[in-house]
Amino acid sequence: MKRIHKLPTFRIHPEQSLTVNFGKKQCRGVEGDTIATALYANDVRIFGRSLKYHRPRGLYSLDGECSNTLVAVDGVPNVRAENTPAVNGMTVNAQNVFGATPEFDMMRFMDELSWIMPAGFYYQTLHKPARIWPLAIKHIRKAAGLGVLEPDFRMKGKFDEVHISTDVCVIGGGPAGMCAALSAAQQGLRVVLLENRPWLGGAFEYRPSEYRNGLALYQRAKDLSKDVENTTNIRTFKNTAMIGSYNNGLVTAFQRGSKSEVFTERYMEIRAKSTVVATGCIERPLLFENNERPGVMQIGCAHRLARTWGLLPGKKAVFSIGHDLGIEAAIDLADLGLNIVAVADIRKDSYDSNLAEELEKRNIPFLSGWVATRAHGAKTVKAATISTINATRHRKFTCDTVVASAGMTPVTGPFTVAGGKLRYDKHTGFFLPYNMPPRMHIAGRILGLDDPLSIETSGRVAGLKAVSECGIPVKNLLRETQENLAKLTGPSRGTKLVSGPIKGKEAFICFDEDCTLKNIDQAMHKGFDVPELIKRFTSAGTGPGQGGIPGHNLPLYIAETGESPDRNPRPTTVRPPLVPTYLATYAGTNHDMSKRTPLHETQKAAGGRMERIGVWNRARRFSSDKNAENEIDNVRRNVGLLDASTLGKFRIFGPDALKALQRVYVGDMSKVRGDKVKYSAMCNEDGCLIDDGIVVKIGENDYYMTASTGRAGQTIEWIRYHTRYDGWKYHMVNLTDAYGVINMAGPDARKVLEKVTDADVSNQAFPFAGYREFSIQDVPVRAMRLGFVGELSYELHVPSSYMQSVWDLLENTGKAFGIQKFGLEAQNTLRMEKGHVIIGSESEQRTTLHDLGLGFLWYRNKPEAKTVGAFALKDTEHQKGRLKLVGFKMRDPKSRVPRDGSPIVDTRIRGYVCTARYSTAQKQPVGMALVDDYLSPVGTLIKIYEDGCRGNLMLAKIEPMPFYDPEGKRMRS
Amino acid sequence: MAFTIVCPVCGIRRSYEFRFGGEDKGPRPEEDTLTPATWCEYVHLNNCVAGIQKEWWFHRDGCGSWFTIYRDTTINQQVENSIDETNP
Repeated sequence: MKRIHKLPTFRIHPEQSLTVNFGKKQCRGVEGDTIATALYANDVRIFGRSLKYHRPRGLYSLDGECSNTLVAVDGVPNVRAENTPAVNGMTVNAQNVFGATPEFDMMRFMDELSWIMPAGFYYQTLHKPARIWPLAIKHIRKAAGLGVLEPDFRMKGKFDEVHISTDVCVIGGGPAGMCAALSAAQQGLRVVLLENRPWLGGAFEYRPSEYRNGLALYQRAKDLSKDVENTTNIRTFKNTAMIGSYNNGLVTAFQRGSKSEVFTERYMEIRAKSTVVATGCIERPLLFENNERPGVMQIGCAHRLARTWGLLPGKKAVFSIGHDLGIEAAIDLADLGLNIVAVADIRKDSYDSNLAEELEKRNIPFLSGWVATRAHGAKTVKAATISTINATRHRKFTCDTVVASAGMTPVTGPFTVAGGKLRYDKHTGFFLPYNMPPRMHIAGRILGLDDPLSIETSGRVAGLKAVSECGIPVKNLLRETQENLAKLTGPSRGTKLVSGPIKGKEAFICFDEDCTLKNIDQAMHKGFDVPELIKRFTSAGTGPGQGGIPGHNLPLYIAETGESPDRNPRPTTVRPPLVPTYLATYAGTNHDMSKRTPLHETQKAAGGRMERIGVWNRARRFSSDKNAENEIDNVRRNVGLLDASTLGKFRIFGPDALKALQRVYVGDMSKVRGDKVKYSAMCNEDGCLIDDGIVVKIGENDYYMTASTGRAGQTIEWIRYHTRYDGWKYHMVNLTDAYGVINMAGPDARKVLEKVTDADVSNQAFPFAGYREFSIQDVPVRAMRLGFVGELSYELHVPSSYMQSVWDLLENTGKAFGIQKFGLEAQNTLRMEKGHVIIGSESEQRTTLHDLGLGFLWYRNKPEAKTVGAFALKDTEHQKGRLKLVGFKMRDPKSRVPRDGSPIVDTRIRGYVCTARYSTAQKQPVGMALVDDYLSPVGTLIKIYEDGCRGNLMLAKIEPMPFYDPEGKRMRS
Repeated sequence: MAFTIVCPVCGIRRSYEFRFGGEDKGPRPEEDTLTPATWCEYVHLNNCVAGIQKEWWFHRDGCGSWFTIYRDTTINQQVENSIDETNP
C-alpha cells in the first residue's frame, strides 16, 4: 500500500524502513510505525479473532481501546498493537485463531451458532447435568479467551518504578492539558504532565483545520508543545498511561520506555497537591449490524492513519457520523485522495453548515438524519447500507471502509476512580461530574467543548485553580480567565443516539466480550434492569478495554428502552487499572534484598551452602552431607566455629533503660549484672514467646542485649511501642551490623581461646554464663559463655570490620585441635539434642512460655513493671488443652527420621513434629514436637503421619529432654 | 492506596514508610487490677470508628519514633485533630 507523500503532520520517517513478521507474512513498515500501522500498510485488515464467536477483527480506534488489535509479540500475549512501536524484526502473531492465518479460522462456525448462545448461555445451560461442566469448561477455555500464556513464561525486559512528588499533576497532554501545565508552571510551580501518546497535542496535533489567523491546529499544537518542553519546571512523560487516582492526591500511571530509555515499562506514583484532568474524549461507537467488521473504524482512526502515518484507510468510504469532527475528517481525507461516496450524519441540525458546504463543493453527498445500519462482507467490508433514522429509506453503497462514530464520550475514569460522581448532562449527552474529588479539576473537550480557544482557556482556568490550591494567590488572574472563558463558545450539543433502526443481532456493543445489542435485550428480558447488573450478566465492558467501547452506550441504550426503573442513564463503574497493565510493571524491579555477614565470602569459598534465612544469607552446611554429621561430630569431640553474626545486638541506655527492660522481658532484669549474662524471653500480650536473648550490664544505666536473628528488625520498634505512653528517657542503638558473632564450641574451645588472648579464660575466672570484655590481639571482644549447642562454648562479639581477622586467627590456632567450621544444620541438630528451642521452629503464634516449659523464666513479682504478657502468663499457667513441647524418640531406633512438620494423629490431628534429626550421640532419630497436653507425659506413644505414608503411621515415644548431657556438665566444664 | 502521614520528626511522608500501631487505647492498665475481661478489652478489642480516630504509627523507614495521628477512616486520610478529647 502506497503511503501519502509527506505531510507536515507525519510522525514517520519513510526513508527508514523496517520489517515486522505477521505470522508468515513479512510486513514492511517505516520508522515511526506502530505495529498496527505497519500491518495496515501491508494490507492486513484482520488482526485477530474475537473472544467468543471468532469473528474477524481489525483496526478500529488506534488508541488501544478494545481487544481487536491485541496481538502476541515475540511470545508476549495481549500486546496492544496500536500503542506499541514497530521494531525491525519483531514477530507478531494473531490471537484466538485456529488456523494458519486470521483470514481463515476453523472456529469461525461459532459465529453461525451465536443464535443458540444468548446472554448468560453458559451459566444457564451447561450445568445440567452437573457432570458436563468439567468437559464444557475445557472446551470453552480452549475456544474463548485471548492470548495464550505458557506456564513457564517469563517476562523479558526491565521493569522499574518511580515515585514523584510535584505541585500539580496534569493528566492529558492535549491543548487543554498543556495550557493548564503552562499556567501552573508560569506561577513557579512544579508540574508533571502525563500523555498517553508518544507526542503532545491531543486532538489538535494531526488536524489541518484553522486555529486562528490562518494558523492550523497542528501548528498550534507544535507551538504549545514547544512551550511546554522549554519550560523547565514541567516534567513531561509521554507514552504514559494513567491507570489510577485516589482521593489523596495520588496518581498512578505507567510509562512505556522508548528506545533510548533503560526501562521497558515503569510504574509511576505521582503525589501532587492538585490534579488537572484533561483527558479529552474518545469516540462513542455507532452500533449497526457488523459494526466491528474489519474496514469499519472510528473517525479519529481514519483521520490519524492518513495524517500521522500517511495511510489512506481504504479506497472507497462511507461515513456515518454524529460530530463535526467527522465532517472535518471527511473533507480532509477527500482532499488527501480518499473516495468518499456518502457522509451520513445522525444529526438533522446542529452540525456546522460551513463544513457541510465544503462537502458539497467536493461533490460528496451529505445525508443529514441518516445513519449506517449494516456493513456487508464476510471478512472485510464490501458494502454498507445506510438508512434514515425512521427507517423509511435505505441506500446501499459499495465500499471497503465505513468510518463510523455516534458522537463523543468523555474519558471520565481518571476522576471517577478517585471518587468523582457522574450525572447525565442532557445538553452534551455526556456523563459529567457533579461532585469532583478534592483537589481535582477538569478541563478541555471532556467538558463538551469543541472550540479550540474555549478548550485552551478552560485549561488555563483549571491550571490556575490548581495553582491557588498550592497556596499561590492568583484570584484576580483566575477570575479574569474565567470571564474570558464565559465569553467564548460553550459546550456543544451532543448526540444521544446509540444505533439506527436495526435488530441488533450482530451489532456489537462490546467488542472485547462479543456482546451484542440483542444480548442486552435478552438480559433485560431476564429481568436485569440496571446497567451494573446487565454488565455482569452479559459481561459487556468487562474486557481489557475497561468499558472504553461500551462504557457510554450501555447506559444510554438501557435508559432509551424505558424498561429500567432508573430513567436517568447511569454509567457503570470503572476501576484501576484504567488501561491494561503488565503485572511485571506493577511488580517493578526486584526489591528482594538480603544481608551478608562479614564472613560471607570466605564462608562461601570454604564450600558453605548459603541459604536465605529471613533477611540473611547463612551457611547451612559445608559438605554435601545433608545431615552435616561430620560437623556435628567435630563440635562434640573437638571444637567448631559458627558464624552467628546475624544475631540481633542492641545497646539500650539512659536513666529509664531498666524500666523499659522490665516492661518487655519476662524475667527480673534488676538482677542483670556486669559480669554475667542473663538469659530471658520476651512475650507478646498473649504470653506467647516472641523472642529470647541475653542481657548484660555494660555500665551504669547501660545495657547490651541480643535478640534472635528473625526478630532483630522489630526489637526497637517493639520496646518503644510498649513504652510509648511512659515518656521514659532511654535510647536504643541497633548494633546488629556493627558486631559480628563467632560461636566457638566444643570441648577444646578453651584451649584455642587461651592461645589467642592474654585474658584468664579458665573455668574459674570465666565460668559458664559469664561475660567478659578482653582483647584478641588488640581487637576488643565481648565474650560470653553460653551453651546453645550443649558444649563448652564462647560467643565472641567482634567489631564487624575485624571479624575476618579474628575468625582466621581462631581457625589457624585451632588447627592443632581439629577446629572446623560448622553451619546452621549442625547447630540445629546440636541444640535440638540439648532441648533448646528456636522460636518459630519449636513455637508458633499460640505457644506460650509455659507450653515450652520455659515458665521458670517468668518473674511474677514485678506487677509495677506492667510486663508485656505477664497477665496472660498468669492466666494460662495451669490452662488445660494446650499444645505442649515434648521430646520424642522413634519406637524403632532403626526407623528413618520423620519429616519436620509432619502431623501427629490419632483419630484427628493432635500436634506436629517441630524438629527431628538423627542423633549421632543417641544413635537414633530424636525430635521435638508440639502435642496435645494429654499426650505429653513421658512414655506416651504417638503416631506420626507423613505425606504419602498410605496409612503406615510412624510410631514414637515421648522421652524426657534434653537428650544430650541432661546435667549440663559439658557446657559448664 | 498510600496516603501520607505527617511524622513529627521527619515531616510529610508516604504511609509506606510507616507501620500501623492500632487505635489509641490509653496507657497500659495496672496489672493488679486486671481481669481476663478487662485485659482482653485492652489488648484485643477495638472501636473501629467509621470516622476520625486517634491512632499510633511507627516511622519504620525513618526516624523510628512512635506517634499518634488522627485519621478519618472513611476517606483514609490524616486529618487535623477535630475530636473533643475531653468528651469522647
